[in-house]
Amino acid sequence: MKNRVRELREAHGWSQGELAERLDVSRQTINAIENGKYDPSLPLAFKLARLFKQRIESMFEPDEERQ
Amino acid sequence: MARISKGKYNLQLLVIMAVYVVLMLFEWPLVAKTEGLALRTLLALLPALPVVAVIVLAARMVMRGDELEQRMHLIALSVAMGVVSVASIIGAFLAIARIWVVGGDVLIWVFPALCLVYGATRIVLVRRMTGAWNC
Repeated sequence: MKNRVRELREAHGWSQGELAERLDVSRQTINAIENGKYDPSLPLAFKLARLFKQRIESMFEPDEERQ
Repeated sequence: MARISKGKYNLQLLVIMAVYVVLMLFEWPLVAKTEGLALRTLLALLPALPVVAVIVLAARMVMRGDELEQRMHLIALSVAMGVVSVASIIGAFLAIARIWVVGGDVLIWVFPALCLVYGATRIVLVRRMTGAWNC
């Protein structure tokens, strides 16, 4: 799954640690999501979308190669 | 539930392990010299208390972890359980066939073996998922 988490986080000027704190997850989880190593659960994806004031489908996109 | 910080977890673990080491150094040698069955049983089981405390601490850490942490703990625990179970059953068959002569005290290695495989698997998982060596 491709995502825009890194782009949106950097646009807000937040570090991975700051974003992790806002979402009550570990910095490692943010790192794994940003690098596409881990796809977040639906509740966490909604939390991310709500935090960045985005629609969920504009933040996450299925990776065509892995379909 | 609030997440447990790594520093707090490590400190609590350090205190528990220090208690365990003190018990093994100063209390455990008394077991062989103690006569009464009740007191001997109590002294023999005393070092199990810090081990239980470590398991409770680890369980709290897992319960309060986020979804990725819980997933990695679960995978690491599953691998550890699988490896130790297979090793145990192989050892048991060899012991029953009297190919490998072993006493009951070999059971003391079950928990350390579980911890070792669990820890090694966690390192591999964290490295693969986040690129970090820090678990």
